[in-house]
Amino acid sequence: MVARDLRVVRGGHTLVRVHRFEVRSGLVHVLLGPNGAGKSTLLKALNGLEQADGTLEFEGRAVKGNGARLALRRRTAAVAQKPYLLSTSVLNNVATGLRYRGMQRREANAVALEALKLLDIAHLAARKPGRLSGGEAQRASIARALVCDPVVLFLDEPMAFLDPPTRRTLTDDLLRILDLRGIAAVWVTHDRDEALAVGDTVTFIERGEVVQSGAALEVFARPATESLATFLGLDTFLEGTVIAGPGGDLRFVLQNGRELWCGEAPLGHAVACLPPENVVLLTTTPERSMSLRNVLQGTVEDVRPDGRLLRVSVTTEGLKVGALVTKAAFEELDLRVGAPVAAAFKATALHPIPRHERAERSA
Amino acid sequence: MQVIWDGVREALRLIFGGDADVLQITLRSLWVSGLALLIAVILGVPFGSLIALRSFSGRRLVVTGINTGMAAPPVVVGLLVAMFLTRNGPLGQFRLLYSTWAMVIAQVIIAFPIVAGLSLAALQQLDVGLRQQIAALGASRLQAFIAQLREIRVALLAAVMAAFGAVISEVGAVIMVGGNIKGQTQVLTGAIVQETRIGRFAVAIALAIILMVLAFGTNLALTLIQQKGRQSA
Repeated sequence: MVARDLRVVRGGHTLVRVHRFEVRSGLVHVLLGPNGAGKSTLLKALNGLEQADGTLEFEGRAVKGNGARLALRRRTAAVAQKPYLLSTSVLNNVATGLRYRGMQRREANAVALEALKLLDIAHLAARKPGRLSGGEAQRASIARALVCDPVVLFLDEPMAFLDPPTRRTLTDDLLRILDLRGIAAVWVTHDRDEALAVGDTVTFIERGEVVQSGAALEVFARPATESLATFLGLDTFLEGTVIAGPGGDLRFVLQNGRELWCGEAPLGHAVACLPPENVVLLTTTPERSMSLRNVLQGTVEDVRPDGRLLRVSVTTEGLKVGALVTKAAFEELDLRVGAPVAAAFKATALHPIPRHERAERSA
Repeated sequence: MQVIWDGVREALRLIFGGDADVLQITLRSLWVSGLALLIAVILGVPFGSLIALRSFSGRRLVVTGINTGMAAPPVVVGLLVAMFLTRNGPLGQFRLLYSTWAMVIAQVIIAFPIVAGLSLAALQQLDVGLRQQIAALGASRLQAFIAQLREIRVALLAAVMAAFGAVISEVGAVIMVGGNIKGQTQVLTGAIVQETRIGRFAVAIALAIILMVLAFGTNLALTLIQQKGRQSA
């Protein structure tokens, strides 16, 4: 599936404007972005549920007109944030899509039961939606989508309303089935951890436009804009200039004149971001090595919990650097506020984002 | 007080004695109101659905029209139908005035906006996400329409109950266009008016009891179906 120059306009406002978006078979494509960014609208446009300008190609054919959109919806499936089960039994819910495709009731029920078994909810076949837990209902919704053997599965924040353990087991089950059957998925989320956990590719959308698209790890390691870096949880941003060093290696010169080794980046003015998980805190000054080339001496300014880890803010040479440490490391290093500490990181951990540029890399 | 007791006694005698006139009036009431309701449902549900699911210019005006129609006094509907069906009216050549068909037409006009308006309201309240999910399941337009009607079936039954209550109990329109002719166009409500006017309270009370039992019985049956539908939701 390829979308080109896709544009969704409602009430004179452009909600989505995407130059190109490709869904490749067997991959999970994550649409990541803040609330109201246009992710769900793009998903619906790809699924033929939302009228859009531009061209949408599916299996080599242009999707144009109501008939083609219906044909597209019958080769794909969708799971929404809420299960949206029909007010009938779970089995009937799962069989509904098959019935719409012309399958006889008896056969549809048999196939639907197999799908329920696949999702471990065969025992809920006769249950009505009102008597299901949130996790069971979403499992039924996923079974209903998978039973039609879709080429592409569209998922709009499918785990948003589930508790963490349910979310984890359902995500694992879903990814296993997608992988087993080679089904491509377009997965909308605003949860960066979920994006990294499920996505082969990540497309970051902001104000209806693609900011960056690429392999998930690449997008997370090298965000193209400050807003994406901020969204990804990075809080160390250093102003400076990328220059070529004497040996040809790249240096990032901070505004105070201090030079740091940095990863690949165009020369010129930039804002360098530093993922906190890539910063190592040390209480002794380390010997400079090829691995941890950058070392900044400073003091602990603040310590806050961040999930199961602790986020330590270090003030160093007038700058602020964030680092994630385990509770054990925190205690071992005695990182109380005001304690002297060295923040060390690899050259490749420092990622300069060119100023006033917005990069869009195709997936 | 004695009059009321006599009335009740006479009513029971008429009802359980199988009085031919009472039976005929009751069956005519059911026929006129039942047929009118059937036509109103056949026309009103799709019309209300169309208005609910489509956006077009003048939609608000149509919705306002339907809502006004829901509150239209039967006597005004009767007047309009009589004007159209009278010998010199636009539809005078069909000679329908003072026939049960004229009564059916008047009651369709009373029931239609109730069915259409309540269907419209129920469909509008249906979650947009559910509508999109039905489409995403691969439903054609007709399949999606049927699925949505199934989802609002409890509300649709409420619409049918409200419309039935309105037509079975209205008196203004049926008298105006049917003429309240004994043995031909007289229904329960018209008969109650006439029997009361001439002082035959016992017959009037008997007819009133039948009318109440009919209304109660029909609504009870529909309520049972409705609640069964609600439980299965």
